[in-house]
Amino acid sequence: MSELFAELKQAVIDGDEDIVSESSQKVIDQGINPVDAVQLGLIKGIEVIGEAWKAGEAFLPDVMMSAEAMKVGLGLLEPEIAKLGMSEGESKGKIVLGTVEGDIHDIGKNITGAMFTAAGYKVFDLGTNIKAEDFVSKAQEVGADIIGASALLTTTMVGQKQLVDYLKEHNLRDKFKVFVGGGPTSQLWAEEIGADGWAETADEAVELAGRILAR
Amino acid sequence: MLLKYDVLTQEQVKLIHDETMKILEEIGMDFEYEPALEVFRAEGLKVEGNRVHFTREFIEAKVKLAPSQFTLHARNPEHNLVCGGDNIIYMPGYGAPFIHDVNGNRRKTTMQDYDNFVKLAGASKNLHMTGGTVAEPQDIPDEIRHVKMLYSSIKNSDKCFMGSAEGRERAEDSIEIASILFGGKDVIKEKPVLVSLINSLTPLKYDERMLGAMMAYAKAGQAVVIASLVMAGSTGPAALAGTLALQNAEVLAGIALAQSVNPGTPVVYGSTSALSDMHSGGLSIGSPECALFISPSAQLARFYGVPSRSGGGLNDSKIVDAQAGYESMMTLMAASGTGINFVLHTAGILQYFMAMSYEKFMMDDEMAGMLLHYMKGFTFDEEGMAYDVIAKVGPGGHYLTQKHTRKNHKREFRTVQLSDRSAFESWSKEKLDTNQRANRKWQDVLANYVPPALDETINQKLLDYIAKKA
Repeated sequence: MSELFAELKQAVIDGDEDIVSESSQKVIDQGINPVDAVQLGLIKGIEVIGEAWKAGEAFLPDVMMSAEAMKVGLGLLEPEIAKLGMSEGESKGKIVLGTVEGDIHDIGKNITGAMFTAAGYKVFDLGTNIKAEDFVSKAQEVGADIIGASALLTTTMVGQKQLVDYLKEHNLRDKFKVFVGGGPTSQLWAEEIGADGWAETADEAVELAGRILAR
Repeated sequence: MLLKYDVLTQEQVKLIHDETMKILEEIGMDFEYEPALEVFRAEGLKVEGNRVHFTREFIEAKVKLAPSQFTLHARNPEHNLVCGGDNIIYMPGYGAPFIHDVNGNRRKTTMQDYDNFVKLAGASKNLHMTGGTVAEPQDIPDEIRHVKMLYSSIKNSDKCFMGSAEGRERAEDSIEIASILFGGKDVIKEKPVLVSLINSLTPLKYDERMLGAMMAYAKAGQAVVIASLVMAGSTGPAALAGTLALQNAEVLAGIALAQSVNPGTPVVYGSTSALSDMHSGGLSIGSPECALFISPSAQLARFYGVPSRSGGGLNDSKIVDAQAGYESMMTLMAASGTGINFVLHTAGILQYFMAMSYEKFMMDDEMAGMLLHYMKGFTFDEEGMAYDVIAKVGPGGHYLTQKHTRKNHKREFRTVQLSDRSAFESWSKEKLDTNQRANRKWQDVLANYVPPALDETINQKLLDYIAKKA
């Protein structure tokens, strides 16, 4: 059993989706506790990569591929956990991510998602061109702590303001922390629109989340 | 004129071309704009959803229709520019949302900044045109930003300028405004006055905004730079040759569309491919990889018989410092030395296109002047060989009191504008570095700049048009 967990851990470190998928399937087929597979396998692997990243030893593709592999494992194991009526254990927090309406740029948002995954958060990535209401309905559905909205153009930044306004209009503003980011955005802009946080890089966003959720 | 250097062999250029054709035929590209898809369907190409599969014959035939060079007309004909051949056109940076000041502080760009950069470019001896979105005026509502920028470009200088690429309607506004200035759409269709920056959405996509603008300009006979910026490692492969093929596929597909809309549309083969830093994911343009991509863009453009755009004062620094200087010189020199024709972002850029800086603008302007002089190379006429004066001075002696010297030094040597060539004592009185000298210089240039007069009737018509938009 512990061999299988070690395999999962290593496969996440290697960013190998195929092995993660195979091993997760073995966990299910052999009736092994899926919560343990997540906690002692997948999460241990992503922790190693997260540390290596912080130490400057891992590069972006390492982290992003590990995050992808982790997602594949969770995709298989989570339904099993739900079926058995078990609890997956606490994540550091849940974050709903997306690029705002009218904007289709997503590299920065994808990097941010991977960094949050590597740091132990559960990430729900909605993709690009996302309306305020769609951010919010997903956040409500999953019980998110943070909604992260990305924009690359000066002409689409307003989508971030619309998200904050939408939450206010629906009396939901205190339910979620709103993070904004992307090329033309700034701390000043975040303050102007009443967002809770802004970061220039994915690393800084993860740090900020740690500080804000600890409050 | 200095000989240009190439980094690829002819065989390598051909290899990139063949790889490109494979990408366009077998993978195809997405065009998220129905009118563009209609054009491709009418040309008999296979279109599935937004995906267009090209054929080698189609691309090669369409690219042949593009002119090898064209003249861009300015309101002052002395500033007309020939884009192509051995010519080089320098202009300011484009699209930055921030200003970095002399102390390294950041703020949002405003309309005042836009006006200022147009004036600085207007005043420059080294910048040939004033460019396009020299600074995003974020204090102006998005709906009228483009017309305000165009008016500033027209009012504050009589050099060539760029049109808006923010979708079909704004391109059409740009065309209307240019028609008012130059006396009608028929006039500008014959003599292009606008050039606009159309970007692909790498990898292998074009969005509605850019395609709408491109097709509007092509119909109106205005020039378009069709550009791809592949970030090797993130929006392209972590392979420089593969990145070139990807870039080339995007640019050629764009050129083919412009030529299908209106055969003979003036196009510029554009690229500033670079890489993603593998620690931050951020774009890095002050890099040897970015500099390497520049020559192939010039070479591929020559292979296809169209003018090229690349390079500039590109760098990743946040302030005018040594890094800003050495990175910018590498990329500006690469563009100038390899035969790039249209150098967007020559002056003002800091932090991978994120910021404009007045101090950087002045430093880049100096570098542009240095390179224009460098590219003149040697003069091999009688005065240039100077045998008579060499004989006259003979062994020993000096040339400082010779008529030949007094007459020729102004042609053969360039006078510095910003660099400090003084001796230690005079420098040490204030100990100003480049950043600080540039800070004084731009304020001085702005204070002394008088915009060229604009015909009052035309001015009023332009203002009326803009008032209607507000």
